[in-house]
Amino acid sequence: MNTDPTDTVAAIAELQQAMTWTTTVNMEVFYWWCTALMFLIHAGFLGYEMGASRMKNVLASGMKNILAFAFVIPTFFFFGWWIYLASPGGLPDLSAETGGAPWSDAMGPNLADNASGIFWAAFALFGATTASIFSGAVIERIKMSGFIILAILLGSAVWILGASWAWHGDGWLLTEFGWHDFGAAGAVHMVAAFFAFGVLLNLGPRIGKFNADGSANVLKPHNIPLAVFGLMVLFVGFFGFLGGCIIYMGSGQWVTIFGNPVTLSAVAFNTVMAFGGGIIGGWAVTRDPFWMMSGALAGVFATASGLDLYWPPTTFVLAVAGGMLAPIGAAWLEKTFKIDDAVGAVSVHGICGAFGVLAFGVVASGYPNGDYPDTNFLGQLIGAISMGLLGFIPGYGVSLLLKMAGLLRIPEHVEVLGMDAVEVPVDAYPEGMHSPAKPVPGAVPAE
Amino acid sequence: MGSPIDSWEGATAYFTGAGGATPGIFLAIAIILCVGLIVHGAITEEAAYKKHK
Repeated sequence: MNTDPTDTVAAIAELQQAMTWTTTVNMEVFYWWCTALMFLIHAGFLGYEMGASRMKNVLASGMKNILAFAFVIPTFFFFGWWIYLASPGGLPDLSAETGGAPWSDAMGPNLADNASGIFWAAFALFGATTASIFSGAVIERIKMSGFIILAILLGSAVWILGASWAWHGDGWLLTEFGWHDFGAAGAVHMVAAFFAFGVLLNLGPRIGKFNADGSANVLKPHNIPLAVFGLMVLFVGFFGFLGGCIIYMGSGQWVTIFGNPVTLSAVAFNTVMAFGGGIIGGWAVTRDPFWMMSGALAGVFATASGLDLYWPPTTFVLAVAGGMLAPIGAAWLEKTFKIDDAVGAVSVHGICGAFGVLAFGVVASGYPNGDYPDTNFLGQLIGAISMGLLGFIPGYGVSLLLKMAGLLRIPEHVEVLGMDAVEVPVDAYPEGMHSPAKPVPGAVPAE
Repeated sequence: MGSPIDSWEGATAYFTGAGGATPGIFLAIAIILCVGLIVHGAITEEAAYKKHK
């Protein structure tokens, strides 16, 4: 069969164009579903927080969580994405033409740009995750308005500045120190947890949390099954989160944000091992289902930095340690700083995140980073300190200002009565369980 | 406001009002809405606290 060379060239060109489109659309589809799965993180956090609340505050806690998400999304559009793209060298470069400004042509439907929207959405969801982490720690006594301001600060400014330093191909922690943190134990979890720690110091404990002699009481969550189920839902969302940590090249090997090659298989091995190990660690220390599931989170954060590189049994060992460390760390924080962290977020995300970042420096140093320093312990240490301070300083400082302005804590009488009765126009359980703050309908006082 | 293009051929940014002044106006309104509704929420919150005192 004779083939006209001109036809062959045209066919090859057509095929190449089709492959380019397939690659582009596959990339969009991949991050689209990662983002969709990440919504499950918020569904999980919602159940987790509402379950961890006492019945008199269950809806107010849920509303707070939902509003954190709702306000982080638009504000991340207004300035969050620009901060990320303009700040890998340190503070935002006001002169940088990054395409992340809200008036940029890239920040809306654009046939020449299939990437900006999908990456913006994924990072906005990461931002909302940081706000959810903070949200759980401060339930049952923070004012909604003050909380929203803090959630915006964390979710649309502070964490994304950290991400620009620690989760960006040109971030200074990578280029100067060889930092590596595949699953954002630093930029997401440590920053959010240390931010929450700073706020908790100014917010103070819930009424009844501590006795006059300094000993702590357990303010029992009203629905442990809901909290436990929420955590399990959250894990499903983590597959979206961790998928979003990988850059889809389309025409070649997947790479991490740090530029090293990776496979989904590698991350699958370690993610699942981390969940299992964390649960076992929490179980070993507490026998408490709440801490078993929080231990699973802690297991992931204790291994997040190296989920792309670890030998799975190494992941398991670190995850068990993380699951054990989470409740021990929470008890230590409570005793030492007299903070009332209702869900143990500072320990689970902060202490275990820091443990994970540093553990990476011990067990995974020496991996090449191209033109930048190889992975090393000192880089991890500098990064951990940077992420901790980046979270703590604005969390403490701005919450102190809000406290001085009377915008941080609800009045005592509202806390005693319950936030639902005061701020929420509907009942959580009108015909079933009844809050002690509200009388049972139709009940007759005993003679 | 409206379409910034008269043909899909060669179109790039095609969101409503692209290249004009209206995106800036909607951006300003969106920011004002967020700030205003937080302030409104704070006022409502304080009123609820007083009502239940």
